[in-house]
Amino acid sequence: MKKIEAVIKPFKLDDVKEALSEVGIYGMTVTEVNGYGRQKGHKEIYRGAEYVVDFVPKIKLEIVVADDRADETIETVRNAANTGKIGDGKIFVLNVEKSVRVRTGETDTDAL
Amino acid sequence: MQNTQARVLIQKKERLIQAFLAGEAPDFLEKLTRFLDEYFFTVYEKSIAARKMVASQNPFALIALGGYGRKEQCIHSDIDLLILFDTAVVPEVEAFIQELLYPLWDARFEVGYAVRSIDECIAMAFDRFDILTTVLDARFICGHSLLYSAFKEKFRDRLSAKHYKQTLDYLFDHGIKRLENFGDSTFLVTPDLKSGFGGLRDYHTLLWYAKIKSDIKERRDLEYYGFLSHFEYETLEKSLTYIWDIRNRLHHITGRKCDTLHFEYQTEVAGLLNYRNQGELPDVEVFLGDLHAHMDFLKQVNQITFEDIVTNSRIRKDPATPRLTSTAGLIIQKRRLYFANTVVILQHPDLLLKIFLESGRRRIPLSIEARRVVTEFLHLVDETLKTDPENVKIFKKILALSFWEFNVLNVMLSTGILEQFIPEFGAIRHKIQYNHYHLFPVDKHSIRCVQVINSFREPGTDVITTLYADVFKEVRNKNLLLMAALLHDIGKSDPAKEHSKTGAAIARPILERMGFNAAEMADGLFLIQNHLLLAKTATRRDIFDEETAIYTARKVGKIRLLRMLFLLTVADSMATGPKAWNDWTENLIKDLFLKSMRILKTGELASKKSQRLIQRKKKEVLALLKERWHEQEIMDLLKTMSGRYLLYMPAIHVADHIRLFRNLGNRQFIWQVSTEEDSDIRTVAICGRERPGFYSKIAGVFFLNRINIVASQAYPLGDTHILDIFKVMPPRDRIFEREKWGKAENDLNQALDDDHFLDTVVDKIPKRITIASGRRPEPNQVRIDNDTSSFFTIIEVLTYDFEGLLFSITDALYRSGLNVTVAMVGGKVDQIMDIFYVRDLENDQKIRDPEKLKLIKTAIIKRLPQIHAKEVENEKN
Repeated sequence: MKKIEAVIKPFKLDDVKEALSEVGIYGMTVTEVNGYGRQKGHKEIYRGAEYVVDFVPKIKLEIVVADDRADETIETVRNAANTGKIGDGKIFVLNVEKSVRVRTGETDTDAL
Repeated sequence: MQNTQARVLIQKKERLIQAFLAGEAPDFLEKLTRFLDEYFFTVYEKSIAARKMVASQNPFALIALGGYGRKEQCIHSDIDLLILFDTAVVPEVEAFIQELLYPLWDARFEVGYAVRSIDECIAMAFDRFDILTTVLDARFICGHSLLYSAFKEKFRDRLSAKHYKQTLDYLFDHGIKRLENFGDSTFLVTPDLKSGFGGLRDYHTLLWYAKIKSDIKERRDLEYYGFLSHFEYETLEKSLTYIWDIRNRLHHITGRKCDTLHFEYQTEVAGLLNYRNQGELPDVEVFLGDLHAHMDFLKQVNQITFEDIVTNSRIRKDPATPRLTSTAGLIIQKRRLYFANTVVILQHPDLLLKIFLESGRRRIPLSIEARRVVTEFLHLVDETLKTDPENVKIFKKILALSFWEFNVLNVMLSTGILEQFIPEFGAIRHKIQYNHYHLFPVDKHSIRCVQVINSFREPGTDVITTLYADVFKEVRNKNLLLMAALLHDIGKSDPAKEHSKTGAAIARPILERMGFNAAEMADGLFLIQNHLLLAKTATRRDIFDEETAIYTARKVGKIRLLRMLFLLTVADSMATGPKAWNDWTENLIKDLFLKSMRILKTGELASKKSQRLIQRKKKEVLALLKERWHEQEIMDLLKTMSGRYLLYMPAIHVADHIRLFRNLGNRQFIWQVSTEEDSDIRTVAICGRERPGFYSKIAGVFFLNRINIVASQAYPLGDTHILDIFKVMPPRDRIFEREKWGKAENDLNQALDDDHFLDTVVDKIPKRITIASGRRPEPNQVRIDNDTSSFFTIIEVLTYDFEGLLFSITDALYRSGLNVTVAMVGGKVDQIMDIFYVRDLENDQKIRDPEKLKLIKTAIIKRLPQIHAKEVENEKN
């Protein structure tokens, strides 16, 4: 199993969710996060006062899938989240040792 | 070790539950209490251990405590027992407890018990609040009844002799603590029926208070002893019956003592109570709305209790003689506002409003009596009173006085006068929105929204709250903003419709009644109709895209409206709950506000006129392309085009460019050279995939081919493509013009593939130029403007025209790591002002670093030739 963590632009969430459900992936964890990367913060000025935004608001998705579905999932997220601009985000892939469904006790891919 | 009695009890309980589920047990709580009593009584009668204790002169009494004592036994409520001895507890009681309780425990009843002597019990009661309250509810079941009376008598004596004040303090502090724990927060969507604010505990507290103060025995006595009016007692009965019913069902569904109405049970309970919508599905929203109305009443009961505690026992220093207020007809007594008498209200019904103004100003609450009077006299608030400008003014003042710590509006809501004054408000009263997002019913939420806006009056404590305070100061019509905040969700009464639109329609007559003029009304309705605009746009569109800010700025149109809309958005989100408001959303919304504000302040892109122009142009383009294109396809493309482009480009050219874009295919670029009728100038429209240096490479290739650039513009085409328009002088050799263009096209292909292709061309740029001006030449100037746009660093270059000028500058920009998104290049006579909107290639943002800005400036200056005037040269010669 692989855990796919994708940090994407907030307004792309709906696109990504839709694209994933089209390939049959419905379960994911969505978190509102603040990022700091190459797309650095910026500042705005209002009546002479500076308003610095250090972190850029992003959305983090966490999806756990069976090994053979990982590539497809990554591709789907990438395509849907892509605007071609800086700040489109990043995708990380991690190995998952075990998963258990709390209600039934099913394990691994059965628990996905 | 189930015995016969336990079996009988279980059977009786089971039958009772069945009857309850069938809706045939309206007196469930009392019946279950009685069954338990019967069980204890029978076991006691038959118990050998009990008989032994009585025989050995150790009589005892079996006493019900807590809810069981109050005869309010729900399906899985605890059973609290006290086995009371006179002076000492005897060890034989052990055997009795085994007989009495083991069967119950085996049958999974939750039974708690205590074995105490009278003195022990009384000492503990005055030491621990939880024991005190159970003792207040104590009820004799069986055994030695004289013991029970002795105990009660002793308890009362001790209470009135030594502990009266302390006990009331206890009750008061406990209430405060409860408010802190359960208080102003989340109980509303998943209400805690027992301990939560508005839960049964509120009623218990009144009961305990009445028991302490007047030694009442039954709930009914609350009215007889004057703790509640007849009407209030009736309402209390109704509310309790309703909440107990839900609590019982909840116990049954969960199979345990569960008093919190969690989300997952709400649908089922709503269905069981026959709340159905038109589709015959459980209507949870209406159900929760009703529940809240009942809980709201219990909350009022709680307020009545506490006010009574305060006036009766806590405040002694305040003079008991009434003080007059500045409003005739209102008086202050023991720090509460009262009407001087009821006759005065009949003469001056506007006092019904004025009392709230007085209360808000002085921050002195209305007495319970005054609240009752307001409710009783609501009918005096009639059409004439409501539309009287003086009264409208009073209401507006009250709006401005509603704060967190002291909110008059909430009292206006609970007394019903708010609804009487704005009848439309009734439709959202207790209106629940069934989701995790909204923590409060719509009416409470609207009032919270007004509170938040008023909180912006305070100077900010940090950067962001300072921004709110600053923006609020700039809002001229604060009354309008507050009114919009109160009414922004007024359309939520009908969940089937889009509430912002419906809301504006409902709000129109209200604003009219409130005496707002036509312009103010238009603003107010706009705010209500668009109160979701900023939050939606900020979270659903790319706020780093200039078009998002332009879209918002255009939609809002006016600076004063944007200010109000921003504050309304912030207040609305804050008043909704933590899911709607956190750092994350705050940053997004604030950013969108600041960016849109800048667009509005700098003008052109968002003005009404330019909007109309763009709309018209879109239609023209559509007409031009209609025959061979799908309308949707064109509209989609037009959507990706920047406002700047659509504003300045004639429709016929836009149509050309769209065709060009369609023909691009997989090529790196495509261009179209056209001749203008009445001039020698050629227009080259180049469409290509956006890539760094694209623009400067075109300029370089033109320079290489000695094609003189007269003017040029660059525009983004969606996110991935770019459109560059060059006005150029034709090649000098007209005979082979076509071949010339072919070579240039070839060169551009090579330049795009090979970054060093144009290296040698750079050297051909003149190092110095001589101008024919009679004056002293102006020095070359490079100005950097980082303030005008939120999205671009704007670089202006002022110099004299020379061959290769554009290439020279744009190449310098490219080598400095900048991407040219927008360019406006053109000259007047010989002096040239070129403007470039650039972003950093590395992070696609404005350039902030002052060091880097300095480097860019130097890099451009270095590439510009030295300027010499002819005359000056002559002088030298």
